[in-house]
Amino acid sequence: MATRIIRRRVALLVACLVARSAVAAAAGDSLNFVSCPIVRDTASVPCWLAEYEGELYFLTIQSDVSAPVTPPWLGHRVLVEGVLSAEPRICGGVVLKPVHLSVLPEQDASCNVMLPAESKYNLTFEPPRPPGPSAGRLAFDAASAAPPSPAPTTGPRDFVISYDFDGLVGFSHARVLTEILDYARAVNAGEIVITGYRGAVRLSNGQTMMEDEAIGKRRAEQLAMLLRGANLTSPSYSVRSQDDTARATGINDYLTRRVVVTVRPR
Amino acid sequence: MLMIGGLGAQSGPMTSWWAPGQGTPLPAFASYGNEHGAAGLFNASGVIETKGHPFFEAIGTNGRACVTCHQPSDAMALSVQSIRARWAATRGQDPLFAAVDGMNCPGLPADEAQSHSLLLERGLFRIALPWPPQRADGTPIDPEFTIEVVRDPTGCNTDPIYGLHSATPTISVFRRPRPVANTKYTTHQNFGVGPFVGKNGMPAATDPDTGRPTSMNLMADARASTLAVQARDAAKNHLQVAGALTAAQVDGIVAFEKQVYAAQVESATAGSLVEPDGPPAFGPRNLAAGEAGVLGNNTTRYVFPMAGKWTTLPRTSSSDANARNAARESIARGHDVFMFRTFWIKDSMHLNTVGLGNPAKRTCSTCHGMHMTGMDTANGWMDIGSTNLPWASEVPLNPWTTAKAQMPLFRVTCKPNVAPHPFLGRVIYTQDPGRALISGLCNDVGTIVMEQFRGLSARAPYFSNGSASSLRELVDFYDRRYAIGFSEGEKQDLVNFLSSL
Repeated sequence: MATRIIRRRVALLVACLVARSAVAAAAGDSLNFVSCPIVRDTASVPCWLAEYEGELYFLTIQSDVSAPVTPPWLGHRVLVEGVLSAEPRICGGVVLKPVHLSVLPEQDASCNVMLPAESKYNLTFEPPRPPGPSAGRLAFDAASAAPPSPAPTTGPRDFVISYDFDGLVGFSHARVLTEILDYARAVNAGEIVITGYRGAVRLSNGQTMMEDEAIGKRRAEQLAMLLRGANLTSPSYSVRSQDDTARATGINDYLTRRVVVTVRPR
Repeated sequence: MLMIGGLGAQSGPMTSWWAPGQGTPLPAFASYGNEHGAAGLFNASGVIETKGHPFFEAIGTNGRACVTCHQPSDAMALSVQSIRARWAATRGQDPLFAAVDGMNCPGLPADEAQSHSLLLERGLFRIALPWPPQRADGTPIDPEFTIEVVRDPTGCNTDPIYGLHSATPTISVFRRPRPVANTKYTTHQNFGVGPFVGKNGMPAATDPDTGRPTSMNLMADARASTLAVQARDAAKNHLQVAGALTAAQVDGIVAFEKQVYAAQVESATAGSLVEPDGPPAFGPRNLAAGEAGVLGNNTTRYVFPMAGKWTTLPRTSSSDANARNAARESIARGHDVFMFRTFWIKDSMHLNTVGLGNPAKRTCSTCHGMHMTGMDTANGWMDIGSTNLPWASEVPLNPWTTAKAQMPLFRVTCKPNVAPHPFLGRVIYTQDPGRALISGLCNDVGTIVMEQFRGLSARAPYFSNGSASSLRELVDFYDRRYAIGFSEGEKQDLVNFLSSL
């Protein structure tokens, strides 16, 4: 494995973390921070963790493409926006649930910690997907197959597309893009209004992390390009952008990173 | 060549090379010997009359037919062994060696083997692609990256007529021909096919005749959305057809390609792979009967279903039977390595970026998950490092060798207004930018559409750039790339399994 397993360093780190029994914040509190992700092997699927101010937090486990929270990447830092849970620790980490993870675009070679499996950290539950072939369904089949929320089938309709921090369209967006396309075709759309927002995150250390200044515009323009590229060329397009960074409070700030697509029938 | 049993089968020796205009019927079923046993070819529509057939006739201006590079004996692809044999038999005069792409660059001395070194040594044809990339309608794409030629052993990328800085800027990459068989799997309309590519949200290529999204699993870079588009592309660029194919010619080619199936049927050590009570993974008839475009990375369907066969076989007093049974058990173990042996998959674009995390602890069948073929079900381009440095095979340079690099090398620089490639950064060195030469996307640099696993024994070498000369080298590449640590036994079992497909 190209990535080094820094056993000694990690052993020291874990020892320190175990010694710190108290978690400063209480369940239900938001916790937003940037850190290197850490992957810990288990007897089944790997866990993803991150350290912040001397505490280890559990982010998620590996499952499959249908997962609502997907693991971060070694080689990159991750923005963690979570809520402290009262659940027992998983893989040695305090559970953040719900949690939103943004892989930051720039590479960071220092994010390379892989922890070997230790029996005391093995999962105490059956993961939705083993680290290999499934039992014949995606891990979150039921969730992904759930019908979309009730929506008008004839009038104008808004679609909200969420993004990773500083992110553009990625693998998780094909589904919502298809919904927009299908609706626009179904109602013979005459106008599509696309508003891209630039967001920000109030971190738990008091700092505010702003997205790239042009990201709202780029998101909106990319959405228009993708819909046109899918042969949705007959509606008129109105593309605009807006700065929403002032809304960052430290709670649910991930909602500020978005594009709203309004499909208006002809 | 062996020709055995089955409806419409022929018997008796034939030359294994199928020449354009040969005119003999292609049997409904035929098998052809290869290093690991024999591969079978099954025409689901029966005997194919090749006389006058657009797939088998030299319909271009250079004497080639489609069959030139898609030989029945080579699982409808082309092995480097066949290429070399053809060079020897014709002293390089076969249309196979046409200057347009059978030469390192047009204009070199045609009768010198060195002019065709990439074809003769690695089975590679020159693929000339416009720069900047173009959409299907010919309009240019503004690429996310710039590209420079770092190394040009063929001379073609710096050539004043054919090169990057010519009047018609062109990038030449060198790739293996793919099998034109089992195409219901490569062109399915099933799982994963939608208007937007599941890996990156980009619009999927559509069928120009129907407007429907396609699976984008044809060719190394998915530049052809359908078999018909591919046929027209190949006719123009490889057969040098004057004008365009007629509708009847396209229909004839596509109709043939839709019904022909190829897979190994005989193992040199394990005997017949297609006995009635054998594993249902094997042989072209099982491919013809299989369900296309469905996930097999599960224990309910399997990528290559073995149905529990050959796991433990009896030993008898017959040493031949024991050897055969041992070989069959090795194949079954190889299947289990393929399906269940976990390792850390790291820094692979369009795998680690699609929700599994980086690294992901998974198995071969994670990526090679399509039932019966081991392809990705849809939009199957990925970067495993076969063309991108630091993983691509490179000639070691030192004062004690005269070996020289064979492949071109490009420096790709992602523009400042786009995010860097997540695993390779802003500057990438590659032998072949792959899908990025079509999409113009930085994240697609070096991504190659994965190939089907069928008929492998008939068509070495492997990978799009022919960098693995044998199945063992292919397995060794993965072992190095992902630090898997396969045991010698696991490697041999995997080779035996792959050679049986």
